[in-house]
Amino acid sequence: MRGPLLLAAGILLGSLTASSQETLGAKSATHESTTVLRFVSWKPDNPHAWDEALARFTEAYPRIRVVREIAPHSSTAFHDLLTQKLKNHDPTVDLFLMDVVWVSEFAAAGWALPLDSLFPPSERIQFLPNTIEAGSYQGQVYGVPLRIDSGMLYYRADLLRKYGFEPPQTWEELARQADIIVEGEAPTDPGLRGYSGQFKQYEGLVCNMLEFIGSRGGQLISQDGRQPALATPESLASVRFVRDHIIRRLASRAVLTYQEPESLAVFVQGKAVFHRNWPYAWEVANNAERSAIAGKVGIAPLPRFPGGPSVAALGGWLYGISAYSQHQNEAWQFISFFSSHEMQKFFAIKEALAPSRTALYSDQDVLKAAPQFRDQFAVFQAATPRPRTPVYPAVSHILQRYFSRALAFADVDLEAEATSADRQINRLLRLTGESF
Amino acid sequence: MTSRAPLEHQAAWWMLAPALAFTLVFALYPVVDSFFLSLHRIFLGVPALGQPFVGFENYQTMAGDPVARQAFLVTIGFVLVSTALELVLGLGIALVIHEHFSGRGWVRVAALIPWSIPTVVASQMWRFIFNDQYGLANLLLFGERVEEYIPWLAYPGFAFAAIVFADVWKTSSFAGLLILAGLQVIPEEVYDAARIDGATTWQRFWKITLPLLKPALLLALLFRTMDAFRVFDLVFVMTQGGPGDSTLVLQFYGYKALFAEGRMGYGAAISVTVFLAIFVLSLFYIRGIGSRLLEKEPA
Repeated sequence: MRGPLLLAAGILLGSLTASSQETLGAKSATHESTTVLRFVSWKPDNPHAWDEALARFTEAYPRIRVVREIAPHSSTAFHDLLTQKLKNHDPTVDLFLMDVVWVSEFAAAGWALPLDSLFPPSERIQFLPNTIEAGSYQGQVYGVPLRIDSGMLYYRADLLRKYGFEPPQTWEELARQADIIVEGEAPTDPGLRGYSGQFKQYEGLVCNMLEFIGSRGGQLISQDGRQPALATPESLASVRFVRDHIIRRLASRAVLTYQEPESLAVFVQGKAVFHRNWPYAWEVANNAERSAIAGKVGIAPLPRFPGGPSVAALGGWLYGISAYSQHQNEAWQFISFFSSHEMQKFFAIKEALAPSRTALYSDQDVLKAAPQFRDQFAVFQAATPRPRTPVYPAVSHILQRYFSRALAFADVDLEAEATSADRQINRLLRLTGESF
Repeated sequence: MTSRAPLEHQAAWWMLAPALAFTLVFALYPVVDSFFLSLHRIFLGVPALGQPFVGFENYQTMAGDPVARQAFLVTIGFVLVSTALELVLGLGIALVIHEHFSGRGWVRVAALIPWSIPTVVASQMWRFIFNDQYGLANLLLFGERVEEYIPWLAYPGFAFAAIVFADVWKTSSFAGLLILAGLQVIPEEVYDAARIDGATTWQRFWKITLPLLKPALLLALLFRTMDAFRVFDLVFVMTQGGPGDSTLVLQFYGYKALFAEGRMGYGAAISVTVFLAIFVLSLFYIRGIGSRLLEKEPA
């Protein structure tokens, strides 16, 4: 398993040939020689920016050579690969990227190194507080935020303007506007739909549903892990709304098979009035080479239900160090270099990655290159985390099953399904001694 | 048998040793280890719980787990439908490529192509074919009428059918190959005799071909059942078990418990259950095939 991956990483770097054996052996050699840092990451959307950043790092730290191991794009597949290595105490993993939802598990399992002494409060305070919280577990910090992600509403600014609409404040308003626009455009554009989002049975479904349920004041799991959360009136009403109005009315049923790329493809082809996605979609939707609607896209906080708040799921990635790494100091040098003000600014400008450092949202260069951050900042600050527990993967599977069944089957007894999901989640939380 | 020289006996053991060692290390050990794991409660994400021995608790949990029950039913449904279709189609393929006609070699190769494509690649291909935007299935059915395109994999029934379909497409020719081997050992003389007696083609098929083909059919059934029971890649690539767990098969459920949730004990219990189910079915089949094969043993 590791052989082909290393090979792939080597080909990507274009440098891992005969020297790899030599540098692997360098662990025991004198510290004059090069240290090889193995970094498990995804394939970046903009590889050139990362190559340039790595080149800068190598310039600053000539004795550290970074070998990237490219993990799958899907967060779930990435998780399965990385945890497989960490389970086996693999010393050839030095540092890795963590999805915000993995931190509790990685911390409780002892896979991620606590960073409290390396990453002092005086440093942490410069980051968005919810990203630091996402990287913490039981009062200790395990991850340094690479960037922040949160759900956003994308809309066709040209169409809304044509029909005299302002971006919708509530989900009902969104549904009304979409209906009118789709009907009005039908003669010239019969393929236009009202909405596209991510409703496949996978992690993204949890994020989408968290936003619908949260924006009516509901929650995915109860505060103390004992009460029902899904079988509550707010939660049930939100699920019903998604089933009856989003899936059956506004969107194509195909959204039940969509992850981010498929749903974004529909939007950038001009086939949807409204679209829910993460911040990266802005760049794609306005890139004339990849999008038929470049320059016609608006962005707004996600709508809410009357009386509820607008809720955006918190996503994003953090740097973590393996507890089994033999190069923890070098790994920290890498992290502090890459998460520095300067490098985050570089990534914000080059890759339009939403920075996790607060100061960059008032940086003129950043705002010039990525003016959307001005509007997104408030959404980022208020983004809502998914349930934080070491057994999150299991909790997420129960949620995915419940939501997917609720949306895909016409005749499902929603209340019974919700009650059963609540019971399974609470049993799991009790079994593992979690209390909230 | 008993009069065999001890030296010869010893030599036999030496010759068997590599195969035995291989089987012990790569087949028996993992099974025993999985069974051992399945008797423990393990949450990798919560090491504070330890890894206590809990006896058959995981199996009890599974018995009361609605998801496991559904996965079991989906798996059984998949096995029944796909193996039945594969046997029928395989028989058809075998009958065709058994006939003498020009270009038979090419037809034989063509029939085997689906089987030679790695399942992951084939699954990815079928996922594209059933895509709602650019899928070939929609293009063939609706042509340019894009607004009528159907998101096949978004319907629980279609999604299940799509997986069965992909499996049947891929492995019918394998069943066909096994059945062809059975066809080739049926002596021509039997057919000649039947023709002289005035039997029609139909009668020859029902009275001669099918009865003499039974061992080969059972063998194909055995292989296909075992294989279908542990279906994983099709589901992993095409649907991830969705929508609403309508394509969740036992092996994928076990995978999720083991690799994503870190519930090693429970995941192992699911794997062991799949193993036992296949084991029992195989015993059942092999007894059927074995007796028949022995009857036909050449004198």
